[in-house]
Amino acid sequence: MIDIAGILTDNILNILLITLGGILISWSVHFVPVGGAPAAMAQATGIGTGTVQLAAGAGLTGLVTAAAMMNVTDSMLLVIASGAVGAMIMMSVTMIVGTWVYAYGVGCPPASAKAKYDPITKDRQDLYVSQGTEGHGLPTVCFVSGVIGAALGGIGGAMVYYYLLIIENGLAAPDIVGIASIFAVGIFFVNAVIPSYNIGGTIEGYHDPKFKKFPKAVFASFIATFLCAILGVLAIGGL
Amino acid sequence: MEPLTSMGVMALIGAAATIAGASEDLESDVGSQSNPNSQVQLAPQMMYPHRIFNKAISGEPPSNALMCAIGGTTASVLMSAGASVILALAIGAIIAAAIHGTYATTSYFGRSASQRRFKQPIYLDILRSHLPVIMGYAFITTFCILVVSYLMIAVLAHPFSLPLMAFIWGITVGAIGSSTGDVHYGAEREFQNVEFGSGLNAANSGNIVRRAESGLRNGMDNSWFCAKFGGPVTGLAFGMTVFLSGWITVLFDASKGDAIGWISVIAGTLIVLILTIWNRNIEVAARKAFGPYKKDEEAEVAA
Repeated sequence: MIDIAGILTDNILNILLITLGGILISWSVHFVPVGGAPAAMAQATGIGTGTVQLAAGAGLTGLVTAAAMMNVTDSMLLVIASGAVGAMIMMSVTMIVGTWVYAYGVGCPPASAKAKYDPITKDRQDLYVSQGTEGHGLPTVCFVSGVIGAALGGIGGAMVYYYLLIIENGLAAPDIVGIASIFAVGIFFVNAVIPSYNIGGTIEGYHDPKFKKFPKAVFASFIATFLCAILGVLAIGGL
Repeated sequence: MEPLTSMGVMALIGAAATIAGASEDLESDVGSQSNPNSQVQLAPQMMYPHRIFNKAISGEPPSNALMCAIGGTTASVLMSAGASVILALAIGAIIAAAIHGTYATTSYFGRSASQRRFKQPIYLDILRSHLPVIMGYAFITTFCILVVSYLMIAVLAHPFSLPLMAFIWGITVGAIGSSTGDVHYGAEREFQNVEFGSGLNAANSGNIVRRAESGLRNGMDNSWFCAKFGGPVTGLAFGMTVFLSGWITVLFDASKGDAIGWISVIAGTLIVLILTIWNRNIEVAARKAFGPYKKDEEAEVAA
């Protein structure tokens, strides 16, 4: 018989930190500049793909880097920093190559439709938005916002993985890695999907008015991840 | 492991990832998947029936993740039964490509049939000619991702299992292909009938180019065009992602001490900083080259 109360009390800190990781993932998605289908036709500012998919791509790359690091070190901070760096590299490489395509393949300058001046470079934006579009490409503010989002997502994903992996259990090393990584990927997807209701297809980054809606998504993520964390801890701790 | 050997393995991983990225993007161009397919789907409704293959099985990341996870699982089972690595990876990729072909077929029939009221025909010759190409690209993508995943696990001692690693790289290659190469297909190739540059005016939505360099345009014509720019840059993007994220931990190996691990984190942050500055440089050059599209009315009023 599994001692449910015992496992939960022993791992209460893990549950809370996994929940915090989930909240970070949910918050991070709001930073990522995604333009959905319109951006793929250079009709909207941001990266031309879906919110969940891009955040998951970056976060999971971070998870691969974090897991590689966790194999060789016990330092929690180093594992989490590696997760952040892996995700940041994926996101910035995707954005720079996206900029190549917009500038050299499509022939349009990066321009934001949500801000008159780029908050970082102070460049005028509205004059560079072509007719019939909602902006295009990735101005500096979107790039920086995307990098911040990827870093937070990578930290969140790495935290979830780390605190699932250190739960005490009777499994052999490859099995615990397998089950912890599957749970980490699952929790990542749950928290990448929740903010998409706020974002509704397109968001330019932290300067977009939609960004202010993030507390609702963070609250929803708190509840969802808390339940996921309890299930994860019970599943792993009970084995 | 010897640092030189690790670097050699990283180079091989980077090369395989570059091929995977390029073939992933070209597969999505020849079969028309992901966001640009919204225009291919919309065209008949705007009275522009066409001969372009129309298969958005799902978003690119889930569809590639499915292919790679199927390939990884099959290869893993075969290897545990004693098959050689190359054979196991090749058979895994063949099965993944066959399943992808099944989805592509049902997807083309379903999508085209649903547009009967807009007089969009189902072309059996398009299905026959495009399906082997789609499956061929799917095979190359899955095989290269499996090679990347296998090398990371078997040689670089990554703790994840082969199917999970293949699944994660499948998600990532799809996310990158959908973010980079697809823009070349969606914003340029589909709309060569409007003046080059400045993005697509929403009023032109659905009015995709239907005539090719010779005859009527199909998916293979799109693949031919995108292979010149969109496909290779997608390959570079995925190759850079896989190579750089692994390279910093191979070069600054954290197993020799946490201090070296922190150097790898700093090296990664420096790479991101360089890319940010590069993006800014392209932004400045593009603003200068393509110029403002409107007059500055505020400045005129002030004058």
